[in-house]
Amino acid sequence: MPTEREFQIAPIVPESVMHNTKALSNLQNLTASIFGAAAGILGLESYSGFLFYLVFTVLTTVLFYAIRVAPTSLKAGHATFDTSRFFRTQYEFWAGGLFGGLAGYILTWTLFYGLVRA
Amino acid sequence: MARLPVQTIQRDPQLFYWILFPITVVMVLTGILRHYATVLMATSPKKLDQKTMREQRSMLHGVATRSNFHVLSGPSFRARRDYLTNAYETGAFLKSPDQRGQPPPNPMTDPGAMDGMMGMMKNNMAMMIPNTLIMSWINAFFSGFVIIKLPFPITVKFKSMLQAGVATREMDPRWMSSISWYFLCIFGLQSVFNFLLGSDNAASQMAQQMGGMGPQAGAQMFGPGVDPDKQFKIETENLAVVEHYSVLDGVEDRLLEGIMSK
Amino acid sequence: MSSSLLRPPSHLPPATALHNSQQAPNILNNSPGAVSTSVIQSLLSTSESQELWTTYENLLLSLLRTGDDDSAHLCLARLAKRFGDDNERVMALKGLIKEADANDTATLEIILKEYDQILQDNPTNLPIVKRRVALLRSMGRTPESITALISLLDVSPTDAEAWAELADLYFSQGLYSQAIFALEEVLVLQPNAWNVHARLGEMLLMASKTSDAPRHLAEALKRFSRSIELCDDYLRGYYGLKLTTTQLLSEPQKASKQTEPDELAVPSSATVQKLDEAATEKLAEIVRRHTAGERDWQGYEEAEITAARELLEKASEKTVR
Repeated sequence: MPTEREFQIAPIVPESVMHNTKALSNLQNLTASIFGAAAGILGLESYSGFLFYLVFTVLTTVLFYAIRVAPTSLKAGHATFDTSRFFRTQYEFWAGGLFGGLAGYILTWTLFYGLVRA
Repeated sequence: MARLPVQTIQRDPQLFYWILFPITVVMVLTGILRHYATVLMATSPKKLDQKTMREQRSMLHGVATRSNFHVLSGPSFRARRDYLTNAYETGAFLKSPDQRGQPPPNPMTDPGAMDGMMGMMKNNMAMMIPNTLIMSWINAFFSGFVIIKLPFPITVKFKSMLQAGVATREMDPRWMSSISWYFLCIFGLQSVFNFLLGSDNAASQMAQQMGGMGPQAGAQMFGPGVDPDKQFKIETENLAVVEHYSVLDGVEDRLLEGIMSK
Repeated sequence: MSSSLLRPPSHLPPATALHNSQQAPNILNNSPGAVSTSVIQSLLSTSESQELWTTYENLLLSLLRTGDDDSAHLCLARLAKRFGDDNERVMALKGLIKEADANDTATLEIILKEYDQILQDNPTNLPIVKRRVALLRSMGRTPESITALISLLDVSPTDAEAWAELADLYFSQGLYSQAIFALEEVLVLQPNAWNVHARLGEMLLMASKTSDAPRHLAEALKRFSRSIELCDDYLRGYYGLKLTTTQLLSEPQKASKQTEPDELAVPSSATVQKLDEAATEKLAEIVRRHTAGERDWQGYEEAEITAARELLEKASEKTVR
């Protein structure tokens, strides 16, 4: 854990942190809604619906890592699957999407499920 | 145990057009309206007179010196600390030096303080009023309709929440009444607003979370009912306990290490 | 719309400023002149954005720099229509245009009187206070301008811009220790500004020429190092570091002089030697890659590159001899 002094030596720019977080949460919200629509149209129910969400969110996150994060982060000497170059906590990147997008997913899932199965 | 047959309910498709869509559209529009209403109602920062500005900014100057002491070398930090401590203790920055030691005015009678509270009230009202209005609107027009079915099973406990206004004991709790669709919208539409209202909607939430250092902190610090003299005293103590070190210590070694390791 | 218009133009090289102001007719024709009062029209037209008004403001400054006063007046008129004549920033811009239009000192005196009048009504109108300082400076009345700035900083000691200007004014008067103090204040307010670190290093280096205390040199070395640490391809940082190390190496007796226990110590000569080599190497790399026209290395100013090249040539001559 970096100390206060290390933060002073290598400062973190809050604007950049905010920009990264915003990009990530925008992606998560958008994909969650789209997955909800897809699950509703496919008519998935109960566990298969949640499984669908889990699989595709993880897939999105991995793709995001592979396409956007990995090229620069690996070059800068970070280990594989280490996102600390762009995000302050690993949790935020890998698991934040699962919980952040869930409400939006359920909404669109229910809506489209109801519309298709009416 | 035999599985219960899946309940099917014949629903008129008109339900969708006249209940589901109106509620959803109204929810989205209200969210947008609320956003713009907050933007409109945001009061422009109040004009400060010269002495108040001096008092507040001197305070912030002390805070800045305390938190960024690491950019200064030892002697220059100590010179600044001595100057600030001295000025704070003698009350050189105070708006009205004669009133030292007197209790601060009652915030309820101070017109300046009322402004700040009105701002907070307005924000809360912008959240509260539309929600209450929509809920009573839904209750008045759409109560008792079963409009949609959840795609996943839930326990009977949720029945009272999801089927408010529908008094049917045997119905599967997966069926939702219009009021529960409203609640689902409240929770789920946040992501939709993020797109519709652009990033500054998200940014404002973020800013509130990160509000530790922003102007909000400043506003709190000079809020009503706070005695600036006491604030200055506290800052004096804070400055006195700073244990000074500098980022300049050993910077050349760090630099060489960084260059060598590349 | 070019992104350079969203940044204040005073730091842009003249060519970019010219380029910006050549876009003026385009921008003025395409953007809405002001927000229409009619609700329906404002729904139909493109919405105003914060960037639009920043663009106008910076375009105005670029236009004044390149002498296109007519378009500048148009910009000001639109800004004034949107924000009202009594907006503080609009007032300052208006004053700026008047200053640009003025031909002789007498007109400038009148403008100065107007500023005084505005400030009497509203002493916290900071943009006007700053304009007044700048006007006094451009009229050659530096001491008065310093006094005005100091009274501004007494009211508002958290204004980094004002502190930087004060440092520059003191520096132009040759008052190094005051300038250093003012720059340190800038750093207190903006602790991670690498350009300010480098600038402070430059001033310390200058100050070390007048006094023979080693502490200025030591601190200059550390300031430049910190600047590079924060921004690892900052040319001025490397340039200053190179100058400082050269000086430290050429006068070893000065470097080895005993410092007070409290002050920053000069690092050992081996460290200085290494820093010197590193700075030379990096400077050479920057110059080489910039001249070769590599795409990521074009952000430097020509003058700085030339200066760096000259410094390197001088240094290599010395070693050959």
